Parts: sequence; structure tokens; C-alpha cells
Amino acid sequence: MIVKEGAGESVTGPMAKRGIKRFMKKKIPLSFTVNGEEVELYISPNRTLLEVLREELELTGTKEGCGEGVCGSCTVLCDGVPVRSCLTLAMEVDRHDITTVEGLGEQGEPDPLQQSFIDHGAVQCGFCTPGMLMSVKGLLKRNPAPGEEEIRRGISGNICRCTGYTKIVEAVTAVTTGSNRKNHEG
Amino acid sequence: MIIPEFEYVAPGDLQEALDCLASHGEEAVVLAGGTDLLVRLKQRLLKPRFVVSLKNLRGLEGIHKKDGVIVLGAMTPLVEVLESETVGKYLPALKQAVEKIGAPSIQHFRGTIGGNLCLDTRCLFYNQSQFWRSGRTPCHKDSGKTCYAEENSDRCRSANQSDGACALMALGCDVVLASTGGQRVLPVGEFLTGKGESPFSIEPGELVVELRVPEPGEGAGSSFQKITQRSAIDFALVSAAVSLRVQGGRFGGVRISVGGAGAAPLFLKEASATLVGKPIDDNRSIDATSGLARKHASAFMVENLGSSLEYRQKMVHVLVRRGIKEAVAMATGCCG
Amino acid sequence: MEKEFSLIGKRIPRVDSLSRVTGDVQFAADLKLPRMLVGKIKRSPLAHAKILHIDTSRAERLKGVKAVVTGQDTAGVKWGVFRYTQDMDFLPRDKVRYFGEEIAAVAAVDEESALEALDLIDVDLEELPAVYDPFEAMASEGPWIHDGYPNNVNVHVNIEVGDIEKGFSESYLVREDTFTAAEDDYFMSEPYAVTARFDDEGNLEIWMPNAGPHMKSKPLSNALQMPLHKVKVRKIAIGGAFGGRSEISPADYICAILSRKSGRPVKIIYTREENTVNVRMGHALTTTIKTGVDREGKVIARDITCYMDGGAYSSTGPIATSVPFLCMEQAYRMDNVRYNGYRIFTNKPIRGMIRMHGRSFACGIDLQLDMLGEELGIDPVTMRLRNARQPGEYTPTGSYVSSCGLTECIEKAALKSGWKEKYGKLPPWRGIGIGINSVQTGFPLGIRGGSQAIIKFNEDGGVTLISGVVDNGQGNDNMLVQVVAEELGLTMDDVTLITADTEVTPNDPGSYSMVTTFAGGNAARLAAVDARNKLFAIAAKALEANPEDLMLRDKKIFVVGSPDRFIPLKKAVRMGLIQGTPVSGEGHYAPKVDHAREWVKNPEGQLSEAFSFGASITEVEVDPETGIVKALEVTAAQDCGFALNPMLVEGQFEGSVAMGGQGGMLTEHHFWDGGRCLNPTQLEYKVPLACDMPRINNIIVESLDPAGPYGAKEAGMSIAMSAAQAYAAAISNAIGVTLTDFPMTPEKILKAIEDKNQQGK
Repeated sequence: MIVKEGAGESVTGPMAKRGIKRFMKKKIPLSFTVNGEEVELYISPNRTLLEVLREELELTGTKEGCGEGVCGSCTVLCDGVPVRSCLTLAMEVDRHDITTVEGLGEQGEPDPLQQSFIDHGAVQCGFCTPGMLMSVKGLLKRNPAPGEEEIRRGISGNICRCTGYTKIVEAVTAVTTGSNRKNHEG
Repeated sequence: MIIPEFEYVAPGDLQEALDCLASHGEEAVVLAGGTDLLVRLKQRLLKPRFVVSLKNLRGLEGIHKKDGVIVLGAMTPLVEVLESETVGKYLPALKQAVEKIGAPSIQHFRGTIGGNLCLDTRCLFYNQSQFWRSGRTPCHKDSGKTCYAEENSDRCRSANQSDGACALMALGCDVVLASTGGQRVLPVGEFLTGKGESPFSIEPGELVVELRVPEPGEGAGSSFQKITQRSAIDFALVSAAVSLRVQGGRFGGVRISVGGAGAAPLFLKEASATLVGKPIDDNRSIDATSGLARKHASAFMVENLGSSLEYRQKMVHVLVRRGIKEAVAMATGCCG
Repeated sequence: MEKEFSLIGKRIPRVDSLSRVTGDVQFAADLKLPRMLVGKIKRSPLAHAKILHIDTSRAERLKGVKAVVTGQDTAGVKWGVFRYTQDMDFLPRDKVRYFGEEIAAVAAVDEESALEALDLIDVDLEELPAVYDPFEAMASEGPWIHDGYPNNVNVHVNIEVGDIEKGFSESYLVREDTFTAAEDDYFMSEPYAVTARFDDEGNLEIWMPNAGPHMKSKPLSNALQMPLHKVKVRKIAIGGAFGGRSEISPADYICAILSRKSGRPVKIIYTREENTVNVRMGHALTTTIKTGVDREGKVIARDITCYMDGGAYSSTGPIATSVPFLCMEQAYRMDNVRYNGYRIFTNKPIRGMIRMHGRSFACGIDLQLDMLGEELGIDPVTMRLRNARQPGEYTPTGSYVSSCGLTECIEKAALKSGWKEKYGKLPPWRGIGIGINSVQTGFPLGIRGGSQAIIKFNEDGGVTLISGVVDNGQGNDNMLVQVVAEELGLTMDDVTLITADTEVTPNDPGSYSMVTTFAGGNAARLAAVDARNKLFAIAAKALEANPEDLMLRDKKIFVVGSPDRFIPLKKAVRMGLIQGTPVSGEGHYAPKVDHAREWVKNPEGQLSEAFSFGASITEVEVDPETGIVKALEVTAAQDCGFALNPMLVEGQFEGSVAMGGQGGMLTEHHFWDGGRCLNPTQLEYKVPLACDMPRINNIIVESLDPAGPYGAKEAGMSIAMSAAQAYAAAISNAIGVTLTDFPMTPEKILKAIEDKNQQGK
């Protein structure tokens, strides 16, 4: 599928708020699902998944902490595996399934992992928390009962400056060894 | 930082991709996992007109063994290399290398083995934002004429920090390149040019499609060693890979490569040869070989990564020695 | 404390964690306002240069650009933390002083237009000689970085107590050592961002990470020449501060004037690099310490000289130059002591206060004690016990120390870590070390020193607390809720907070002097007590009892001893409304400090009303071939007065060990290419990861400070500092060499081992 080179129209929806377009931007169609919902957009291909999530879809839970894939604040799940949304072009997830932190739990009801984070004091400033949760989700999908070393390895790509990681590890351990085990997937 | 604009192309199969690369030539870059490319785009180290995504290509993934050759599709995700029984059994150095790449949530799912082999060379003075590099003349790698890592250097002194490339250099690997004109095969030592300004022997229009590693055979063992400041995320300050064979209690073929030194992993032919024929428990010889490896690798090294030159040079000795010992342990362990 | 609490002292999850695990909570970069513009800043590509001319005409003409500002758009009001350190234009007019300094800014409809506009701004600079090292800066022949600061000396703090020379002459053993450390840095998770908008009446609303919104609003009102009530710094979630977000930032001011000029809201989001280079970072230090001890290891005299690399502007200079010394004079007895602290300007990014204050200073003091002890045959723990601060004493500069559990911290940490069994008895290349420290709970802040809180009731018994307290992520908001809920017999859910909003909330010192619980918590508690007294006055009449015999629990006001004689809280509230005496609460607390005390001119008198004390012990293993350190276990014991919420206090300890110890001592430092920071992002500035961290044992010691709310004082910072010292000591112990340059990276450790082996031959 080679994408058509169109003249690039200004489109309706969030992009139109910008009003002025400086020059003809080529926007191409993107369809994917986010937290179970189908999304169709026209975007400029240089947008990252992170930008599209935050700006087009207004899902600001996923954060930009460094822009170069190191800190992990931008981690989301793509088809169930953790990826850096700041290093993923939005077009690369065309026809894929994305899960962000907003997709965990139900309306107003945190899922067992989120609740465990709350209960164990694993959240301080909270900026790294969404990315951390998604990396843990990715880990638990592949390994539902990780030991401490495996948990630490699983979150080794998520930098937390506040907690020193101790209570994060405790929170994950509690959820995998407790009665909540069956509920920790997706 | 927003990525500069480009035209995005997503060919539907390999042939389309090659046609596309042929017509766009040097104006195009290839996007596989993108975990390195996107950083460089944001830093405006390159501003391609076309980005050719390989996301739709099928058939370039997978690992299999055939006729004494272990074949890895260039688009095989790193996690698959890690979990492959074939790789674990025959190419332990590669498995160890891939394990140490970055962190699972960064590269292991999106990154590919081909992408890691093609990781551009790096230098503290080059891999910086556009603003950081402004206000002074660009360096050799940045299409300029100076070097900030080594004063008065007339060429680029960036280093290859790819863990996969270091391991593959020691294991010996052929790189298969495809284009509209057909295929050609290059040994990895030729594919990686050792030139910081242009580290890869890729012609415009070519795409790396396959890696072929010869099956190591009886009495083989390999090991990958890496020095970093943290236990994940970091690029190698220096790395070493050793692939060897043990025959009758003595060293058979030995290949030592060192990464984080030159603009390609250094295959240290002379140092490797000094071990051949020696008993595997001859620690003096192992140490001497390691020292020679350090000496030869040091000639390529400058202070361009985040640690002192002296320290990295010393670590070549330590890592090569540890690599040799671990490779021997693997070789003798699996022989039983 | 005999009283039974329902909430205070309990491990309770924070009330604000839910919005963080759902991703709902809004940080400054998450805000979206109608017609909002993207702001970007043009920065100097030279480290020291005269600004000859800035031409913004081409940028202004670019389609999509709505405002361009330079120094010409400012009122020329210089910023300084103190009146005598006012040296910073937010957009300079005369010259730039560091690589990356703000020169101009644009607001445009999207990021691409903004970036293109930056490129269209033409700047003519005349390069000036730059200095990058404090000693080079002091020796420079000019031009000075700031006029009026010859030899680029920004601040000189001089403290002298007792008779130094006599002390040294009476000492049994004297050592002099010099310790150095490169810059450390905050690397809080959230990159700086500002959103600003003006309304039609010229009121400014602005959101940005801060460590005290009132510390932002006043300078903004000065710089914008607007009355304070029209500058509204709003509440926003903040992703960490650690001392780096206390001051007004050029980005705040620039965002405001872009918004004013364009007539639209503007948001500026910093890149990680900008967050590192263009906000603040820690100081690099060179500290020379001369200490004389008696035969028992008691310190008789000490002389310390410290040179700090301050970067291009004063920032919190006088405070930053003083605190490293003050922490140590609190932690240790020093009858005869002299301190000369120099902060020097260089053409580098600006340095501010940081959680791990002056690692070369603190680690130097403790490592030297170890070395002195070794010569005397006295072990490190004993050396600490012999010199540790005791309650009821005065510090050399005249602060009375009321509560102090330092000795208890040392003893408990030693016991838990197995010190006696381990010190001197570990296998080769394993080491154990101790560090102790003390941190202020508040310091003189003039009119900003006190906190005030107000409580209003809803007729269903729910409560709103209005307080200027700010939460940077450490749990200050939760602390307020816990305190008020406790005092008013409510649950955590019954208390709503309005905090950190300068339009509504009263004065508060902010979090950067570690005083939030002490001042803000006390103010909230007193407000609740005030409200409760009023409720009791109403209830007493209704119950025909004495107000002194009443108690408030589970939303009921009842007579002590007769639980069936009660009225619901909400009934008392309603009665107050009907009777025309509506119930509200007011409380205020200002720590009793000596307001005449000044950092430079008069460094004497009560510095803080309370001090925290901490002792950390670390055990490490060093790989002698690579110099790589594996931290095995850390025991962190801090006297925080009283733990209002032990789970949150532990979280502070653990984070402190990571930042001060694991990162601060092993991997964290900035390195430079002239004025360019070579490692401005987390790729090359190595903060600890989950798999780097050792096991941490937390010991909370409660000395029950007489003034702190429920006895509470500062919690956490004494660990950040003592953990660094403990790591330094443990590594030195493991390799048998005392390293004097920090952090203790593998190359330095390896070199020390090799040098020692050479000497041994």
C-alpha cells in the first residue's frame, strides 16, 4: 500500500482548531484502536504515537519525560507488548491495538494493579506512574508470576526519581501473589 | 521535539520496498523498529525526504537453521532472538548481547536484529540536539570538517556501540543485501566499514534482508561481555565478544571482537591467533592475549563516550579475558 | 504521646494516588486551553557574549506567529532571590552569560511554525571570553560575568566561632583533606512546562511546577508590573522538585508576556535538555576540610573552605553557599569552627539548591572522621557517637536544638545493619560505612516564613481546607487531609483541598525549606482545632455539657465517657448557620526563627525551629577488576520527630537512598565541553534504575519535637545526605582507599585500587 500523495486538505475535527495551515501539509489516514475504541484520523506522518495520543485524542495520561525513549514515561502497550510511544511514528500502529493507562480499570474503578500501587505507596509525584503501570502490564502478560528480580528487570526501562522503586516492586509482588492474580491482565 | 516533516511510504512487500528505495535513493531512510532512527530525527542529525516503513513486509522475520547456517531474518524482533532455542544453543554470545541491549520495554519488542546491526555509530559530541550542536562548525559525521572528540582528527572518531554487531563480528556473519538488481552477500567485517562518516556498505536502494551465521560446530562456545554504568538502558562503554572452539583441551579457532572502540566492532585477528593451540587452562596466555587485544583496540579509541579513555581501554583487557573464560566454559560444558 | 489516633501515625494510602494511577491528574504540559499557542524560546549559542542586535521582523511576518518577544519587551526589572542578588533579566538586554540562555521567544499556532520562527530571528552577538571553572573564573582578568562582582566572586559566607588556632594547637591529631564533586542534578520526572493566559481584565492565570506558588507570584507581579492580586499562580500537579523549582524561571515570565502580547493562552513545554540546562542544577564543589581531634576522637577544631561553581547567575546563592556547612554544624558538635564558603560565577548553567546538599562537603566531613578514627584506632560508628549532636545544645551559629534523636538513629542503624559483626570482618572487596547528617526544618524567609490555613464547612459536615501548601509529589496534600480529618473526626474522603493557588490560598513558605509539615501542617491542625472549638461551643449548649468534656470522632460530637450523648457534626454546623455563628476555622504557624539572621551579613541566631537527623549505613561489594560497585544493603534511620504516615515517610527514605546514595555517589555527575553540558538527558546522566537498587531497611526514630505537629519534623532529606556519605564510606572501606572525588565512578575506584597496589609493591 503506497500512500497517495494528496494535496493535503485541512480537515475537520481537532486539526481544524489550528485554523491556519502554513503550507499544504500532507495528511494521511490512520486507523487503529485505542483502549478498545476504533479511531480514525488524518495525520501528518511525522507525528509520533505519543503526540497523537496526547494532542489528537486528548489522552494525556501518557507522558513525555525525555522524548528519546529512555525514561519510560511514554510507555503504552501495542498489541499487548510495551513500546515507547515517543519513538513510534503514529503511522506504524495503523491497524494495531493500543492500550494506554486510561484503558486500565473501569470508569472510576482502578484495576487490581492500580489499586495495589495506591495501597502500597508506589505513587509519589505520579509522573512516571502511567508508563510504569504499562510496563508492568506487559511483563505480567508474558510472566504472570515474576519474582523480585524479574519485576525489577521488567521495569528496568522505567525511571522513577521519587520512590527508589521499593514500593513499586512491593505493589507488583502483592498483586501477583495475592488473590487478585486473575484480574491483572489488560 | 517534533520530527521534521517527511513523506511516509509503506510498501506492501519486499519488491515494492526495493522499487521504492531504488527510486528515492539517498533521499530515503528505512524504518524498521525506529527506536534509534526516531531519536536521530528529533535531533535533526538527518532530515530525510522519505521514510520507507517496513511494517508491512512479511517473510523477513524468523530464525531457522539450514545446511550448517543459522539464518536470521533482518526484521526478526529482538525478543524472538532472545527466546530462540537455536540462538540459545548455537550462538550464546548473540543471545547475551541482545539481552543486554537497552531495556525490554524500549527495544526488545520493537527493535529488530537487522536494525541493531545497522545501529549508527555514536559519539557524545555528535548525538546531541540540533541546538547543542549549533554555534560552532559541524563535525565530520555531521557533514563538517572537524572532530570534537579528538583534536585535529581528520576523520570521524565515533564508535560502534551495537551489542548485536559486536557479537556477530566474533561469531562471523554474512549480511545479505537485496536491491532491485538482485542480492549480494558481504561478510560483516566488510559490511561494517569502520568509517564513522559512513559506517555501512549499503548502496542507495539496498536493504539488509538476512543475516547468516555459520553453525559453530563441535566444541564451540561464545560469550558477550559489556561494561555499562547501570544495569539496563545504557550503550556499551566498551564490549567484547569471543567465539571459539575447543579441541582436545586446546584452543581451536578463536575470534575476538571489541565494541565501543572503533567505528565498527574490531575483529582482533592477531590477538585471536595468539591463543590457537594453547591449552584452555593456560591463564597466562589468556591474559597475554587479552592484553594484546587491549593494546590493539586502544589504538582505535578516543575519549568520545561517557567514561575515561584509560578506563575503557583497561576494560578491554578485562572483558576479553572474561569472554574467553566464559566461552571456554560454554564449549566444555556443552560438549559434556 | 499517649493519645490514640484514628488516622495520624497510620499507614494510609494517599488521597491523590487514584488520579495518578488513572492518568487523570493534570500536569502543566497536559493543560489545553481554547486557542492556545505553542511557545518556544530562542537560546544563545555562545556562553558569554554581548548582545549587539536582535532582529525579529522576519519571524513576526511568518504566518502563524502571533507574538515575538525579546529583552525589549520586558520592563527591565531584574530578578534575584535577595535584594542584593538581583542580577537576572528574564530576557537579557545587555549580554548572555551561558550557553543556552534565553534571548527571544515566539508564540505560534503550532510547534513547526514556532520552530521556524526561531530560525528567522537574527541575533548579532559579540563573543566574550568565557570561563568554565571557578578557579579560572576567580583568576580571570575580565570582563567579569557580572559588573560589580570582581573576580566573579558572587557570594562569600564567613562564619567563625570559638578559637580555631587554639583548638588546633590543643588537638592530638590534625588532618587536612580536599574533596571535590562535579555537579549533580535533579532530573525530576516531569520536564518543566508553563501555561499562561490573561483574561480581558488583565488578570494573569499561570500554571507551572513550583515549590511555593507565592514565591512565583510576587516576582511575576514585580516583573510584569502588575499588582499581586492580579497574578494567579494556579494549583497544578507537579512531577518532582527536589530543590530545583523554587524560583521564578524565565520560562514563567516569557510565557506570560507572550500571552499578554498575543492575547491568547500560551504553553511552553521544555525538552528534557532544557529542563536540565535552563532551569537549575546542583553546584560543583571543592571543599578543603581541616579537622583536629583529641585522643578520644572528639572534634576540637575545624576549618572549612568551600568553592562552589555557581554558574551564570546568583539564584539562591547565599543559601546554597551556607546550607552544606549548616547541615554539618547541626549534625556535629564543633566548638571551634571556621567556614569560608565562596560561590563563584562561571559561564555555565545556573546552579541552585539540591536535595543532596554539597556532596563533597558532607562526604568529606564524614570520610575524614573515618580516617582520623582509623589513625586513633576508633571505629566509624564510635567516632559519630562521640561527636553527634545532642538535644538541648546550641549549634556553633547559635541555633537551639530542641529535639534530636541522632544517637538513637546511629545505634539503631548500627544494630540493624550488623555493624559490629561486619566492620573490619567482611570478605575482601566488601565494605560497610556510615554517614550522619542533619537538615533544617524551615529557615528564615522573612514575610514568607509562616503558613496560614482556613477551614470552611459544608452543611453536610464535609470540609474544605484552604492552604498555601504545595505538593511536589511527596504527599503534602495528603498530609493536610490526614491532619484535618483527624482533628475533626472525619474520614479522608470528607476533606476537600484548595491548595497552592495564589488567588485564594493564604501565605505559605513553600516546600523548599522542608517546612511544609511543620508550618503548613501546624497551621492546618490549628485551623481544625479552632473550628472544633467553635463546634464544641455550639454542641456544649445543645448537649448541656462543658466544651472541655467533648470529643469529636466518626463525625459525631459526644461527651467523653458517655458515647450516647452526642450530636452529629453536621448538626452542629447547621446549628451554627441558624444561630448566625457559622463555623469556620483559622490557623497560622510561623516557625520561631531569628528574623535578624541573614545568610551573609549575620549568620547567627536561630536558623530553624527544628532539625531532622539521620544516619545511614551502607554495605557494598566492589568488583576489583572493573571498579563496579554493587550496593548490597542500606539501612536508613532518620529522626523525623513523628511519622504522620509511616508508609509515606518510608517512601521518602527509599527515594532519598536512590538519589543521594545510589545515584549521587556512584553515577550522577555532569561533564562538560566548555559551556556545553555533555549529558543533559537521562541517557548519559545516569539516575538509578530498578535493578540497580539494593535492599533498604527503614528505621523511623521519633524524638517528638515539641513544636512540630504531633511532633513531626522534616522527613527524608537527612537520608539523602547521609546515604551519600554512607556509600562513600562503604566504598572506601571496601577498597582500603579513601576516594576524595565524587561520584565514585568505576574508573576512579579502579585507579585507586591500582595506585594502592603500586604503592604496596
